[in-house]
Amino acid sequence: MTLKNIRKRIDEGVNLNLIVTDKFKSNLISIYIVRPLVRSEVTKNALLPMVLKRGTKNYNTFTDIQQKLEDLFGANLSVDVTKKGERQVIRFTLEGPNDKYVSGNNLIEEMIKILNEIINNPLLENGSFLDEYVNQEKENLKKKIESRINDKKTYSVDRCIEEMCKNENYSLYKHGYVEDLKDIDSRKLYEHYLTVLKSSPIEVCIVGDIDVDAVSNIFVENFDIERDKVIDIQRENVLKEIHTKNLVREEMDVNQGKLTLGFRTNIPYEDKLYEPLLIMSNILGGGPNSKLFMNVREKESLAYYIYSRVLKYKSLLIISSGIEFSNYQKTLDIIKEQVEDMKLGKFSESDIRQAKKTLITSIKSIKDSNFSLADYYLSNILANDYRNIDEIIERLQNVSKYEIVEAAKKLSLDTIYFLTKRKK
Amino acid sequence: MKIEVSTHDKLNEKLNFAKLDSGLNVFHIPKKDYVEKYAMFSTNYGSNDNKFIPVEETEAIEVPEGIAHFLEHKLFEEPTGNIFAKFSELGSYVNAFTNFNQTSYLFTCTDKFYENLEVLVKFVQNPYFTDENVEKEKGIIEQEIRMYDDSPNWKVFSNCLKGMYHYHPVRIDIAGTVESIKKINKEFLYKCYNTFYRLENMVLVMVGDFDFEKALEVVNNALKSSKSKGDLNIKRFYPKEPKHINESILEERLQVSSPLFNIGFKDIDLGYDGDMLLKKEIETNILLDLLFGKSSELYQKLYEDGLINNTFGSQYIGHKDYGHSIIGGESVEPKKVLETIIKYLEKIKINGLNETDFIRIKKKSLGYHIMDFDSIEFIANSFTSYYFKNASLFEYMNILENISLEDLQKRLEKHFREDNFVISIVNP
Repeated sequence: MTLKNIRKRIDEGVNLNLIVTDKFKSNLISIYIVRPLVRSEVTKNALLPMVLKRGTKNYNTFTDIQQKLEDLFGANLSVDVTKKGERQVIRFTLEGPNDKYVSGNNLIEEMIKILNEIINNPLLENGSFLDEYVNQEKENLKKKIESRINDKKTYSVDRCIEEMCKNENYSLYKHGYVEDLKDIDSRKLYEHYLTVLKSSPIEVCIVGDIDVDAVSNIFVENFDIERDKVIDIQRENVLKEIHTKNLVREEMDVNQGKLTLGFRTNIPYEDKLYEPLLIMSNILGGGPNSKLFMNVREKESLAYYIYSRVLKYKSLLIISSGIEFSNYQKTLDIIKEQVEDMKLGKFSESDIRQAKKTLITSIKSIKDSNFSLADYYLSNILANDYRNIDEIIERLQNVSKYEIVEAAKKLSLDTIYFLTKRKK
Repeated sequence: MKIEVSTHDKLNEKLNFAKLDSGLNVFHIPKKDYVEKYAMFSTNYGSNDNKFIPVEETEAIEVPEGIAHFLEHKLFEEPTGNIFAKFSELGSYVNAFTNFNQTSYLFTCTDKFYENLEVLVKFVQNPYFTDENVEKEKGIIEQEIRMYDDSPNWKVFSNCLKGMYHYHPVRIDIAGTVESIKKINKEFLYKCYNTFYRLENMVLVMVGDFDFEKALEVVNNALKSSKSKGDLNIKRFYPKEPKHINESILEERLQVSSPLFNIGFKDIDLGYDGDMLLKKEIETNILLDLLFGKSSELYQKLYEDGLINNTFGSQYIGHKDYGHSIIGGESVEPKKVLETIIKYLEKIKINGLNETDFIRIKKKSLGYHIMDFDSIEFIANSFTSYYFKNASLFEYMNILENISLEDLQKRLEKHFREDNFVISIVNP
């Protein structure tokens, strides 16, 4: 399989990652601007991409931008902010068809130019963002933050983490806080943005059937950004002793209870026990053949969904499930028992083999999605992990049962969160 | 057994097809260099098929709501235990889904494709329902239903369907209700299974970089019957659905931050399948994009007035016996959004659609269609659902290219009327 990856430094703290493959019919460009996750800027950072996509110097309105994108055979712009450990990543992605399928003429250059417009050439008045755009997007962001309660599954996981890490930056909500919006105006936001542009580490990933030299040149020529000293973002602290266990109960008008357990894994992603931890989590709650699925769902009919998941950067393990309110204790007991069994090594060689295969399948599958490829490279860069896919697979294959048990033994339960119905 | 190969140069894709002696149609779209391989075994049977004459019987029966979905859950059970273990052993990912019109079983894998394929084909042909395992599933599905009850996006959509349709079963939730699933028993399940899971009513669609002939050999060996029982004539009964809507406003309260809405336009131009249906679907979706898409005048106005946010969107769903366009999003004043839309439609009908916009949206639709082929899941899913509508995914591009502004103008008049829309709102 032809997959070539080239990484180039193009400016102070700006790197271009070119992932060359001829199997996709589209080209994808993702620009990631990396910020520390801190209360003082989390809301502003969340607001930035929303304001930026409203208008540029050459495309004054959102409609102008959209029409231009449609003209490029439906190049699709998506922006958002994500949390990668105690970093907040502002993402701009543009995906459009490769020239050869739509009789296009250097569409990738047009795509790069538009992204440059949106990021480096925003529409300004009196030296700052437009009041109108900022005010409207503040209102939209307020609604977005408030709508967090709409999806109860995600909400219960977010809330568990928030309670668990309440004294750590990791608890911050990626879209920020309503009460922080009132202090943001167009001038302050623009000033903050200038700092962001000058000082943030920026990673650019381009995936597709591209000519490496031509595309790097086009990018360097068209992406005019002013750079200053680049900030150093501290690695998050992940080792924590638990003195008191949190028990959090929240009431809402809901039809189903959501039980979420937050564990500290005490295993940094650099640690040799990290891959054993992934395997452990997969055996415990990775899929329909996992211990939790078999015992909570198939044996006891307590839930439709239950899973466990490792949060890489912050070294957490989350177990989440939707259950009948009255089955809280019963479900909790089974989950605890299953976790205990992992620590005691009560699982088979076949469980291990299956978990390894499942993880390897999902890592291999990254190669089939341009978006996942870009995201995968970013994750590795953020983790200073320059192993390739084959090396990671090899490490997974070599993990022993002893290591999996060692990883399980390091788990400590920190927070139990239960979303339940309101008392009438 | 003959293999038919068709090539689609504009997409740079190929389609392999074989009709097996057993009556099963098998398709393969080879995606060179893809690591993942995907197979989807589906039956033309969904939650809408609630009244039918069971195989080898003469009288129509009505089965409990939600049974197609229940059956899908239960098919994973084998006398030897759960089939999940076998796929897990192969390191693959298995899943299934039921919608209004079809039930599908699928896996994705990177290794051992033929072994996975054998397990898939065998387990779908091997129902094992007992009183005990049927009872056990009720608790699980009850939790699935409750999960959907807490999902505002699902609720607002589901109520919208109830508003548009008087009797058509598409108004009933796919999973049924907590009460209806209690009536399900193994006898009902076997009747449904034996009627709808006949190979002539099914299709196998495979996508990925593997050998088609070898896959066919695996399938042939895994099939229980090697000879087709001949013509399939399943008698399904649907109530007669009037053209007009059922209820124009539906409101419900859930724990949400601000109101969610779905505006539904009920399609009254029905009865097509094949290319005609596909053409109507593409036309309507281009029309929706022109009228309500991100570059439209209406979107800009509603957005700047603070009446919608970026969750605003629209889609047309079309089948032979029902169809609707849904325009949905979040708004502080959903009724004002509706009012604005209705006035805007009146204006557009008078002034006509804009040609420049049309050409641009058509370009976009073409680009989107081509990019969709980067996803093997997309290929398998949409190929299957078009197959059951007697249409082909590979005709999409030709039909799209031939759509004219006049076609859209006609569709605009027919579809967006004064008497065929409803609004469903979920309030905080």
